[in-house]
Amino acid sequence: MKDLLAVVKSNSLIAENIYMLTLTLPEDAGKIRGGQFVNLATGDNSHLLRRPLGVMKAEGRDIAVCYQLKGEGTQRLAKAEAGEKLKILLPLGNGFNLDGKKNIAVIGGGVGVFPLIATIREHCAEKNFYSYIGFRNKSAVCLLDELEKSEKLTVVTDDGSFGNKGNAVGAFLNDKDKPDFDLIIACGPPVMLKTLKKELAERNIDAPCLVSLEERMGCGIGACLVCVCKKTDGENARVCKDGPVFNINEVEL
Amino acid sequence: MADLSVKICGVTLKNPIIAASGTFGFGREYNEIYDISKIGGVSTKGMTLEPRAGNAVPRIAEGKSVILNAVGLQNPGVEHFLKHDLQFLKDKGVCVVANVAGRSFDDYGAICAKLDGLVDFVELNISCPNVKAGGMAFGIKPESIKEVTRVAKASLKKTPLMVKLSPNVESIPVNARAAESGGADCISLINTLTGMVVDIERRKPLIANNTGGVSGAGIKPIAVRMVYEAAHAVKIPVIGMGGITCGADVVEFMMAGAKAVQVGTANFTDANAMPRIIAETDAWLDKHNIKNINEIVDALTLN
Repeated sequence: MKDLLAVVKSNSLIAENIYMLTLTLPEDAGKIRGGQFVNLATGDNSHLLRRPLGVMKAEGRDIAVCYQLKGEGTQRLAKAEAGEKLKILLPLGNGFNLDGKKNIAVIGGGVGVFPLIATIREHCAEKNFYSYIGFRNKSAVCLLDELEKSEKLTVVTDDGSFGNKGNAVGAFLNDKDKPDFDLIIACGPPVMLKTLKKELAERNIDAPCLVSLEERMGCGIGACLVCVCKKTDGENARVCKDGPVFNINEVEL
Repeated sequence: MADLSVKICGVTLKNPIIAASGTFGFGREYNEIYDISKIGGVSTKGMTLEPRAGNAVPRIAEGKSVILNAVGLQNPGVEHFLKHDLQFLKDKGVCVVANVAGRSFDDYGAICAKLDGLVDFVELNISCPNVKAGGMAFGIKPESIKEVTRVAKASLKKTPLMVKLSPNVESIPVNARAAESGGADCISLINTLTGMVVDIERRKPLIANNTGGVSGAGIKPIAVRMVYEAAHAVKIPVIGMGGITCGADVVEFMMAGAKAVQVGTANFTDANAMPRIIAETDAWLDKHNIKNINEIVDALTLN
């Protein structure tokens, strides 16, 4: 885990309200696993909190993250130009552990696709990914070239303006030709993960399922206890340090 | 390289920069980023007798140059700290400040008894709701500040008592004197200011708890004023905090009367904030040819 001063390489709009920011690290930060995240300064001193962003791509010293314009912090980030230096703390969190798994279902919704893409990129040479991805509409669809590294890709939209009309969980459940998965990985809005958990239980799908959660964070390293989630055993877990990836049966959604 | 060491209530700190409670856990996470033996001390996450789960999320929000938090004292309980975390901090050679909170006067007495002789300071967090005193916070009225201090002090035969004052009060000097007369060995301030941030699209407060404690660079002028007031109202040492982000801020608080300082929110903005602040403080002293940091304490004169 290192806090580095990275240089912005590019920062561009890739879908409606979605930017991809590529930064070059001044030194090696160690291996970055899909599902891990960085804590990135906005470049404006009046924003005291870093922005926790899932890594979408890690290639050598280049790190790409994607973010949605939401508030003042991401508005400021969108103005960052090539050559600007931003502080970045990384790598953070646990990431997806795919050890010993071969056929993997990938269920992603909206901005949840980015950490999944990192995971696919990392392992697509030796594992088979079957990706079921949902976007709001055609203008939100992005990074298809990355998603196409999957063995099979199904993209749906809420309004049917791209691919079939539907959501990612539905696309997964309705796929008639899917193999026996030995792992499911998912990231997306809370309602998507909640639906997934319910459907897996009701349909007795017993493949293990890992989900990546999102929460407002303080330190990003597990010290401040701001970003907790409730575990099914009643205890709190820190999303930043114990997660952000959890077994779906381990957490309340 | 100036002498940065300070002595407070008989306890020597290698430098006067202490991590503020709630921002630094029990030190283990930041120790993965740098060796925390560099810093003067660690005020632990606020501890209670029993483990607590804390508030619902979101627990944090941002304003301009400030943040708000409402973690709600999530902590594993004082016994867990004694078994699992105390030795780690001692091995690091940092001054161990055990921050404690309770629901009743008895809670404060009991938790202090468990820590007596084992830590360098006990810091009383007296801004949480108090059932026995009719729902008022302990830390608001001088009468309850004096009483909770007295009860805590009665359980501390060996360890000096630091009372952390709330800024959400009528008079800092009156409350500082109340802590002193209750037997406090030193005072720390300021705790966070109560605030609210509203999500105007949802027409709801951003934090689940609705209100949260405001901290960060934006509160520094308020904190410096209150530290000055406290330091000039009591004879016991004052530890200052509130928005410190750099060495110049440390100098400012110490000139206002603080013998040491705590750094909190800056750790979130910059994970290496504390070692950087120590180096900057040292550089400022060198630049001004000051050989010993204690020379700047209370060094300001009013206009």
